[in-house]
Amino acid sequence: MSRRRHRRRNKNGVKLNVTAMLDMAFQLLAFFILTFRAAPIEGHLSLNMPPPIPQTDVETTQTVGTEGNSAPALHALHLFVTSTEAGDVAQVRLESNVIAAGRLTPATLAGIGRRLGPLFSARNVLYDRIQIEVDRNLRYEELLKLIDVCSQQKQPDGKSIGKVSFVEMQR
Amino acid sequence: MSAQSSDGADPDLTPILDMVFQLITFFMLVINFKGASLDQSLQLPVLGSARPLEWKGDYEPLMLNVDNEGRVKVFGVVVLAEKFIADQAADLKKELRTAGESAPKELPVPVVLRVDKGTRFHLVNHIIKLCQENGYVQFSLSAMTGKGEGGN
Repeated sequence: MSRRRHRRRNKNGVKLNVTAMLDMAFQLLAFFILTFRAAPIEGHLSLNMPPPIPQTDVETTQTVGTEGNSAPALHALHLFVTSTEAGDVAQVRLESNVIAAGRLTPATLAGIGRRLGPLFSARNVLYDRIQIEVDRNLRYEELLKLIDVCSQQKQPDGKSIGKVSFVEMQR
Repeated sequence: MSAQSSDGADPDLTPILDMVFQLITFFMLVINFKGASLDQSLQLPVLGSARPLEWKGDYEPLMLNVDNEGRVKVFGVVVLAEKFIADQAADLKKELRTAGESAPKELPVPVVLRVDKGTRFHLVNHIIKLCQENGYVQFSLSAMTGKGEGGN
């Protein structure tokens, strides 16, 4: 048998004074509104950037990772980037060959990628890093486009070239 | 003078309190205190292939904002890059030693570089070299992910 429960209620009820709580809530709200800053949509390009290898002779291929082991020598591929006074790319050279000239457009970048691709995917040549010698005036925006192309290159084992070093070009 | 009844106006504040608490909950959930370390005045380059930083290490990455004159800003304050980076590296090495890890030659923490897109290479390279001299080799270069972002 169910027992019916009657809620006894005072006619006046219990009245809570919520004004103080509302004041506090508004203060909290004001704090959060004032400190709110929408997070920008940022991405990152993650790279391993060891210090550059001192370069004395451009034509002589330098090797890294040969100390104390019998693993095949890994080479550093050298790119040279000159710039205009405005900071745009003037010329990109791969060792001594010009592979791009003028401002970097998507087509130019794709062309650089096509030139670099076979060098990294070849079985008999092992590069493990790219060393870019850059004109001191080059704008960071242009440099980042080149770094992006370089970092997308794949080694024979399918791994991306994650190592990029920079050297300031001597004028 | 306006006359007021002895009972006074007694509005029901419960709905407004509910709404305010909902707003507070919303802002608490979306607030990001790390955003204060990002210098919003920088115009980052746009890079479609940029991906969100996936860092799950025990130590916080070193965040450096570099403006187009090569000045390093941390939490909106211009700092002396040489001293700041050296101090941060020393603190990290100390933390690693305290945690019982042998201080590695290469620090296991990335440097997040937020560089203005108009900054000249020699200014950026100076900062990169400072980081490398202090043992940082992992870098994370910030960029906006879509066109129209980052300003022009």
